Amino acid sequence: MDVDIIFKIAAIGILTAIIGQVLKQAGKDEISTLATLAGLIIVLLMVINLIADLFSSLKTIFNF
Amino acid sequence: MDIIFKIVAIGLITCVTTIIVKPIRNDFAILISVVGGLIILFLIINYLTGIFNTLQNIIGITNLNSSLYKILLKIIGIGYLIEFTAGICIDTGNNSLADKVLLGGKIIIMVMALPIITSILEIIMELLPS
Repeated sequence: MDVDIIFKIAAIGILTAIIGQVLKQAGKDEISTLATLAGLIIVLLMVINLIADLFSSLKTIFNF
Repeated sequence: MDIIFKIVAIGLITCVTTIIVKPIRNDFAILISVVGGLIILFLIINYLTGIFNTLQNIIGITNLNSSLYKILLKIIGIGYLIEFTAGICIDTGNNSLADKVLLGGKIIIMVMALPIITSILEIIMELLPS
């Protein structure tokens, strides 16, 4: 378990923000919305994996 | 004990990263703080197993009913989970949702503690002269 994932999420956030801005400036509003949504979903998947790990280890520790 | 430096470093890094990302994307900043909390929990979870093994040994020496100890463990686990979730809810600005999560946790803990309360009452009833 390391700190890389924090920087990964920050980088994905900044990247999607930039891509969304560029696409919006180019007049492709709907593609910009899709790119933003895709970035959010990627980060959500990473976080959900971590939460699932936490729940499984808590279940083994606390004998649920 | 270099783990304490790890925890401090991860907390500070998470704070700084959240501050940097917040003006750009507000939703990602919340996710970063959630992940920082998760990583700190993962760091301390190994120590929790050590503590609980020691407690189990002590309970084994005292010949107490081990089902009571298991209920106690589950209540501690529920407390940790509920506290974590309520913290995330407060961070995202949903204070009322955090209150409801806390209320749910309290009620579940009360339901799980009922066997302990009934056993205490039974002991008191046996002690009372009829």
